[in-house]
Amino acid sequence: MTSGTTPVHKSRGLPAMRGVEPAVLIAFGCILLLLVVGAMYSRNFLSATYLLQQLKVASFLGVIATGTMMVILLGQIDLSVPWVVTAGAMMACAAASFGPVGAVLAVPVGILCGALIGLVNGFATAYLRIPSMIVTLATNAVTQGLMVVYTGGFSPQDSATPAMRWLATGELIPRVPNGVVVWVVVAVAAVFLLNRTTFGRSIYAIGNRERAAYLSGINTRRIVMLTFVLAGGLSAFGGVLLAGYASKAAQSMGDAYLLPAIAAVVLGGTHVLGGRGSYLGTVAGVVLITLLQSILSVMQIEEAGRQLIFGAVIVVMLLLYGRQKAL
Amino acid sequence: MSGVSKRYGGVTALKEADLSVTPGRIHAVLGENGAGKSTLIKIMAGVVAPDEGMITLDGKPVSFATPAAANAAGIVCVFQELSLIPDLTAADNIIISNPPQRFGMIDRKAQRALAEQALAAAGTADIHPFALVRDLSLSRRQMVEIAKALARRPRVLILDEATSALTAADVRNVFGVIKRLRAEGTAIVYISHRMHEIAELADDCTVFRNGRKIATYAAGSKTDTEVVELMIGREYKNVFPPKSTAARPETPALSCRNLSWSGRLNDISFSLHAGEVVGLGGLDGQGQRELLLAMFGVLRGVTGQIEVAGKPASLADPEAAKSGAAAMALIPEDRKIEGLMLPMSIAENLCFAALDRVSSRGIIDRSKQAERVAAMIELLKIKVVDPDLPVSSLSGGNQQKVVIAKWLMNDPRIVLLNDPMRGIDVGTKQELYALLRKLADEGVAILFYSTDYDELIGCCDRVMVMYDGAIVRTLEGDAITEHALVASALNISEAPPA
Repeated sequence: MTSGTTPVHKSRGLPAMRGVEPAVLIAFGCILLLLVVGAMYSRNFLSATYLLQQLKVASFLGVIATGTMMVILLGQIDLSVPWVVTAGAMMACAAASFGPVGAVLAVPVGILCGALIGLVNGFATAYLRIPSMIVTLATNAVTQGLMVVYTGGFSPQDSATPAMRWLATGELIPRVPNGVVVWVVVAVAAVFLLNRTTFGRSIYAIGNRERAAYLSGINTRRIVMLTFVLAGGLSAFGGVLLAGYASKAAQSMGDAYLLPAIAAVVLGGTHVLGGRGSYLGTVAGVVLITLLQSILSVMQIEEAGRQLIFGAVIVVMLLLYGRQKAL
Repeated sequence: MSGVSKRYGGVTALKEADLSVTPGRIHAVLGENGAGKSTLIKIMAGVVAPDEGMITLDGKPVSFATPAAANAAGIVCVFQELSLIPDLTAADNIIISNPPQRFGMIDRKAQRALAEQALAAAGTADIHPFALVRDLSLSRRQMVEIAKALARRPRVLILDEATSALTAADVRNVFGVIKRLRAEGTAIVYISHRMHEIAELADDCTVFRNGRKIATYAAGSKTDTEVVELMIGREYKNVFPPKSTAARPETPALSCRNLSWSGRLNDISFSLHAGEVVGLGGLDGQGQRELLLAMFGVLRGVTGQIEVAGKPASLADPEAAKSGAAAMALIPEDRKIEGLMLPMSIAENLCFAALDRVSSRGIIDRSKQAERVAAMIELLKIKVVDPDLPVSSLSGGNQQKVVIAKWLMNDPRIVLLNDPMRGIDVGTKQELYALLRKLADEGVAILFYSTDYDELIGCCDRVMVMYDGAIVRTLEGDAITEHALVASALNISEAPPA
């Protein structure tokens, strides 16, 4: 197990740097590197417009990855992300078709649907002790089925409410898309939750040693379940934002988010087996993944090549982190 | 084996031990918990390598890098802990290391024949070779384990507490098998805590104590009392604080009535008073751990009644046990798995059992946390450079202090300790003994399981000795002596010498 090779924080000299995992620094370093490479290709990569545009795209992934990170911190995994994202988007749009009341409730309805799926995931994982990898895969399939039944297999006709569009693309602060503001709010809440509450502390405890946490009298099952509920709600919220961005929901719009969300969390230095990781790392991971995807597409590399490079970068970085932990 | 030593870190588990076994004889090895028996057989079976000394087989020096190498040389060991895979069949388990093959596939027919042969040799032909091990009872599983050893055709057979899980009928079976093997010229090393078994089987006996060989003698040449003396005779260091003589309240802080669990705990009743340190004694694995876990609400399906301060309490899980009137704490035996989150900071670890005492409405109050953490570090004199460093940076003794401190932060009224002093240096132990007594004097009820008899004698006002899941004797005051403890632990009914 990993307990033998516990990394001791070496950066003790600088108080500001304490607790910052080297992985987080590497991720930020890679972001800079990408920007430099991009800038050599085209000046536009350093323009505020481009960077804000990237941050907007990153914000959807950022919201989704927040939930993914908490589940990974527990030592579990949530594979139901794709269709929870889609369900959140579709249900919010569906609620919008019920007149003015529906329009008001659209966002909460979308989030609630995701939270409900999360509840099923969490209950099965925590109380029925089914491995989360299986349960979340199953709920993903079931949700997909439900959504296909709902739409009859066609693209849904409902469109996003103005509120949803405003949340994703409006500009409360000039030139800064609201999606970014939303992500900042979610991020601040997540940092507070993880670092300053008993709930967050318990998540880390369970991820490190569920047995020790249980024997310390922590209600581990409730914490695990609530974390899945939170993750479901956040995934669905990401879907709601996406629907706002695209003005409507679409089949399988969430498919493109499972791997990037997990990759962002892990590239940000969160331990794949749980217990260790900081939200700052997840932010870095999300930005890194978004930039990488953007630069690859701007460079007009073909889809196949993009996938290849994307996958290879993730593997190489994980290998790098693995080496580090062994020290 | 001669002059064999083994050290684990700073602890010498075995020092210059000699043992020789002869074909056609049964050699019994005796000793207290931690006397070095297990290490000795692990070395013989190639599980661990000795630091010094040599092993000779038929006069030739040998060294085994792996258990498989020892097996190949004909040395086979039946360990105390079962090594069977529950989801495979008895036959699969029996021939697991060397299955008969045809064209690279396992030959089921040959496998079945071999397994049947082995089971018959163990006197248990009634076990179907294709029965899943998980469906067998504990005693039957142990028999499969023995059959597995026999299938390897041992020249030296080592049985480590092999009968402790067996029913009386299976014990008779095994005895028959062992005697037959002896007649066939197998050398047998037999480890058991059951004196009557040794009296029946052994030809020679060797006593170990503190990792050293104390004596080898022909079986029957010493009385039980003499053997017990050989096993315990060590200097007695006075590292314990004086016991208190204050009167205790009438109503027990906690009482258990008829606790039973899954055949491992049998009808246990006792009570615990505030201000009292009660010891749990007996040999390793007689249900002491299960009893503590059952009281702490960890085990499912415990029957019986627990009363806290005279009122029935239902303690469904550790969360319920630590809160409310019970205010219980369980100091676990394995701090690395059950007590600490090693990569997390000392301060965080200290707070885990008392999160609601350093927070309000779920939000952690940093100043309250810092205050409490500092108080605990002070109280237990934990050597800490910075409480924000990972707890893994501390020494073993200090880590154990963190585990205890984290529970004291919750102001417990009943403290259960599961052999907490293992692997801790004497100085720290002494501090912790004093701490236990201080807690008791402040009105905490303490139940203290220890495998170290000195500790039980030095610390406890009362000692309950467990054997086979039941409390067989309760010793009080001056009656707590090594003789009495060892005799009760072995469940020998003789009276201790005056």
